[in-house]
Amino acid sequence: MNYEEKNSGTLHMGESTSTQIAVTQPLGRDGTPARLVTLFGSLGPGGEKHVGYVFDVGEATYQETIVAVNGPIRSITLEVPAAAWYERELHDQYGVEIVGHPDLRPLVFHENWPDGVYPMAGAVESVPWSNRQYRFLEVQGEGIAEVAVGPVHAGIIEPGHFRFSVVGDTVLHLELRHFYTHKGTEKLFEGSLVDAGTMIAESVSGDNCFAHAVAYSQAVEKACQSDVPSRASAIRLIGLELERLVSHISDVGGLCTDVGFSVAAASAARIKESLLQASSECCGTRYWRGIAVPGGLRCDLDSKRVLSFSQAISLAAHEFSDLARVILETPSIQNRFETAGILRRDTARELAIVGPVARASGIDLDVRRDHPYGHYDRAQLEVPVTHYGDVMARARIRIAEAAISARLIQQTVDVLPPGPVLVPLEILGEFQGSSAVESPRGELYYWLEGHDGRVTRCHIKSPSFQNWPAMPFAVADNIIADFPLINKSFNLSYSGCDR
Amino acid sequence: MIFEVIERSLRQPNRVIPVEALLGNCDGSRMPEVIAAQLTHAVASRLVEVCPTAAFRIEENNNRPFLGLSYGECIGCGRCFEPSEGAVVASKSLSCCGQPKDRLVRFWDLGSRTEIGPLPPEPRVVSGQIQSLLGRALNIRQLDGGSCNGCEAEISALTNPYYDLERFGIHFVASPKHADMLLVTGPVTRNMAEAVKITYEAVPAPKLVVAVGACGCSGGIFASSHAVVGAVDAVIPVDGYIPGCPPTPAMLVTGILEVLRRCTEKSEPDLERVELPNKRRGESSIKSWGRRQPCAQQLFKLRTPL
Repeated sequence: MNYEEKNSGTLHMGESTSTQIAVTQPLGRDGTPARLVTLFGSLGPGGEKHVGYVFDVGEATYQETIVAVNGPIRSITLEVPAAAWYERELHDQYGVEIVGHPDLRPLVFHENWPDGVYPMAGAVESVPWSNRQYRFLEVQGEGIAEVAVGPVHAGIIEPGHFRFSVVGDTVLHLELRHFYTHKGTEKLFEGSLVDAGTMIAESVSGDNCFAHAVAYSQAVEKACQSDVPSRASAIRLIGLELERLVSHISDVGGLCTDVGFSVAAASAARIKESLLQASSECCGTRYWRGIAVPGGLRCDLDSKRVLSFSQAISLAAHEFSDLARVILETPSIQNRFETAGILRRDTARELAIVGPVARASGIDLDVRRDHPYGHYDRAQLEVPVTHYGDVMARARIRIAEAAISARLIQQTVDVLPPGPVLVPLEILGEFQGSSAVESPRGELYYWLEGHDGRVTRCHIKSPSFQNWPAMPFAVADNIIADFPLINKSFNLSYSGCDR
Repeated sequence: MIFEVIERSLRQPNRVIPVEALLGNCDGSRMPEVIAAQLTHAVASRLVEVCPTAAFRIEENNNRPFLGLSYGECIGCGRCFEPSEGAVVASKSLSCCGQPKDRLVRFWDLGSRTEIGPLPPEPRVVSGQIQSLLGRALNIRQLDGGSCNGCEAEISALTNPYYDLERFGIHFVASPKHADMLLVTGPVTRNMAEAVKITYEAVPAPKLVVAVGACGCSGGIFASSHAVVGAVDAVIPVDGYIPGCPPTPAMLVTGILEVLRRCTEKSEPDLERVELPNKRRGESSIKSWGRRQPCAQQLFKLRTPL
């Protein structure tokens, strides 16, 4: 298939007999199709290509299937729409031929990348600069205009390109173009020492660095079948919930900024800052960077400061719930938030959406409860779910979750087990492990393998990569002026998606 | 409802952190501070070994070994504290925010256990001077060249009621065409390189560029990636660097004010540098900031309050 054909948006359904059917979508326990968690490539010991399919079939552990491929494979996108971006990424990074994919345009690499260079399929030396074409989907018809936004946006945010096809103010179609911040992160893991990998994981999405570090560490710990001390897993829970609290407060403040409610936005920023300063005093870093490592934690909480830390959290949570009440009762906020950017439950399910966005669209999903890890099996966890799927629903979910997170932190701080926080890991021979964490944006999954203390492959399923494809569905039929608000209500990381 | 909102804002105490407490402060960033008296050759080689981004290195000059520490490459992981036996601790203050690249590196003589070279200057800006430095306003355009969003999170904290950058007359603007300063984060990725250049060209001269974070200063942990072009100065000229991963809001404030101070002082030899030709407007290339085109000085003269 030449580039023009791939780029034309036509459906190729022709399958030769050599096309491999790698996997079929399993059914979950309730008889409905299982949710796709991730799809990724890796290399076997002889350099042969492998494709991993991970499904959530409703059990405590995920169903991981890794198949060797030696030729074209059949796309599963038509049955599992959530696989669309994963298969495009697989095609870009490994050069795996995928037959029957409705849209195999390059995803990760832009015009500057030469055809036929697949960085994950082998060693990359210097990659020449190229100037190939990329075709955006065009909506044609009378009165249709295109509005192109980005990659550099008007604010302190990350880069990405949005192309709206509009009729008047109403958006007919939004086409996303991301991966401006693609840094080859998964390739950087190759050959890195297990400990150094933690620092790479922390730089995937800076505001969720602790969730990434914990997910990576847990995957390593699982690979060498090692447990972390209970004090370490309790402190990890505190860190993860604090990150969620900070993130949700910041999101609700951001929503207020986007509708011009500056008083509430400034209050939310103040509450968030008070939590970051409390973290800095208690563990020496504002975002809990460099704390979690495979085997536990690199430093313990300062016992003299735990009390003031916990008081700061409960004060912040109290102030935030008070602020949230004012926000939700303000008529102009209700007017802007309600019915804006509705993501329907069917769409969310088909795209395997995760995190607060999924829970706001009526999908009852939370890794902490469904696939418990660390200290969570001991914690009582409520999972708020609403069915409206609009900006207001996502705001309400975040407000409810912030309160739950603060409560979980208090419960854990009160009975913090004594003991060490780090056990040395024995990483001998070949290892392979995976782990999922509920990050503030949703399910974060790490899969890694390696040998002799070095990582050879690490795949990161980030919730942002999973959720971005849902944005066009939520934005369609809304006015273009509501896009910043809808975008903020999803709160997706560009860097986490682009990696 | 609106009265409740107004009452709420009136009830809040003033939380603004005074500028004296911010300048030079790097608490919470875990930037390393070397205690020269504790430094031995064995400790120094251990530091080189544990540092994931090779921020520490041992160099020799006339058979005398030196330990170098490049703050631009340090990601503040804190892995050097433990094996250093007290020779490296988390720093509370850092003087290199907003300095040119050569001032981000410090050297210690391993024989005499003393720091060599000119000691880094203390941030000399004091609150009284700020008004005269800035005149009425400085407009900053933040530009993400491919960062992990950690730096963005800290930069957006600058506008919160604790740091309140607006008190200095510094605003974040939406368009590069309104900006005096570009605050660029991240390693510049292949996919962003062109956009970074175009944004730089869109900023009207005179302009200042500040590279933010370990990635912006040196490429940080991503320096060796195939998808990354390099640090910010691999793509556009940079006037000052703010290290840290991510830099704390205090370090950002220090850096921004320090770049301003340096660029508005009468003679600064380190400001002489060749700027890229501004293709868009067909301007000829600016040879030197210091002599031929004292742009920043003109800018601030124009802005001196009436």
